[in-house]
Amino acid sequence: MEDDAILSLFRERSENALSETEAKYGRLCYSVAYRILEDSQDSEECVNDTWMQAWNAIPPEWPRKLSAWLSRVTRNLAVSRFREKHAEKRGGSEIPLILDELAECLAGGTEPERELERKELAAAINGFLAGLKQEERDLFTARYFYAASHKELAERTGFSIPKIKTVLHRNRVKLMTYLKEEGLC
Amino acid sequence: MLNRDSLFDAIGEIREEYISSAGHLLGYQEEENMMNFENYRRKAVLRKAGRIFLIAAVLTCLLTATAYAAGLFSFAARIPDADETFRINWTENEGGYLEWKDAKLALTFPDTPESREVEFRLGWLPFDVMESMPGCHPWEALSMDTWFTRFASESLFWPENRDRLPERYHDKRYENMGQAVLIETYAMSMFNDGGAMLMLYQTPGEITEEHWDNLDVLRFSATQHLDAVPEYNVPERDYVFNFILLSNPEEGWVVEICGQDDMEILQKIAENMEFRTTGKILTQKDFPNKYLFIDVGQG
Repeated sequence: MEDDAILSLFRERSENALSETEAKYGRLCYSVAYRILEDSQDSEECVNDTWMQAWNAIPPEWPRKLSAWLSRVTRNLAVSRFREKHAEKRGGSEIPLILDELAECLAGGTEPERELERKELAAAINGFLAGLKQEERDLFTARYFYAASHKELAERTGFSIPKIKTVLHRNRVKLMTYLKEEGLC
Repeated sequence: MLNRDSLFDAIGEIREEYISSAGHLLGYQEEENMMNFENYRRKAVLRKAGRIFLIAAVLTCLLTATAYAAGLFSFAARIPDADETFRINWTENEGGYLEWKDAKLALTFPDTPESREVEFRLGWLPFDVMESMPGCHPWEALSMDTWFTRFASESLFWPENRDRLPERYHDKRYENMGQAVLIETYAMSMFNDGGAMLMLYQTPGEITEEHWDNLDVLRFSATQHLDAVPEYNVPERDYVFNFILLSNPEEGWVVEICGQDDMEILQKIAENMEFRTTGKILTQKDFPNKYLFIDVGQG
């Protein structure tokens, strides 16, 4: 079923909206969740939460690209669930590594004095990503949005793992500079 | 407080197109993903071909048609001979036709029976200008999530609008630009049967051939010398215009992003544009002329 038809079902408050969404995007959302949670049951629950959030959000929201919108919701729910489960321990997932890498983007690792709104920061990150070449942007997004491993990125792109790490490192440095210039870091 | 967690959370709010594009890289939406990887491979091949091509361009100062002939690239660019004539029927004119010679550039495309009409939406424009002209058409539309088939910035140049610019923008980059940015959409089907995009007055420099996802891209700068106009106390001057031409050979459309703004600015505008087709099919019969002039400010 086309996305517009699925969205129309949401607008009509038809429960078929959920079954059609699951049929089309269930595998995608499960994969997004599993990449972060690395647990089947948690991932399934996360996907179910995604359907619930979609039901509550559409309308009034009207995603332009449903797959990306659902990926975002799933990813953010998975991250929250990950944090709940790993509040005290650091597991073997990619997330702790990714968080360490992202800490490099903060000036000297120090905390800024003022509270930042997430949207303000997201807008800055969008501005930063807009300035990257597509392949660099895809790598950055695959790593830091989807939590893809270096190995997987190497397999997917045909680049070596050292090259993947180099590209990501260079762009983290660029992001740090960008955030500084924007007065956010 | 900004910390690694808030940064990670904020990355969860990035634009859907970035999410989607990276999702393709990771194998989501398998059918599209296969196409995506084909594009990655093709891009690499074309990039290598593009380097070889540029060397040839330096030697000959011409963009050759080899990639086009091989079916790899939808644009073919050439510099016509000075006496090559481009003629159209024009009943109002003596002889019933109009013709042009001494064209500086001709861009042609594969014959395309049907083109899909394309619209675009701007994701980025020079921020200061955009924000500083509230209520001034057409810049106002940028905050309205609007789709365009044509976008022009000449209103920046109109004195009555320039007065509306805050003082800090006066005498800055846009003040002397008749056309900082112009974006227009075209159908490849218009140029069937030997039709072409022509540059008549401005002289192109080195042309760069690129490939962005499913788009074929030409980038180049062109110059134009204008004589002095003593009666108005205008000295002779040289203008530089930048051009980015995008074509989607599968859907048969072309988009031109050009103007006097810097190439980097135009490229950022182009890279942040979204495209969609309207469902309308355009054939050559929809156009009165198979030639089009792409000189900035010359219509």
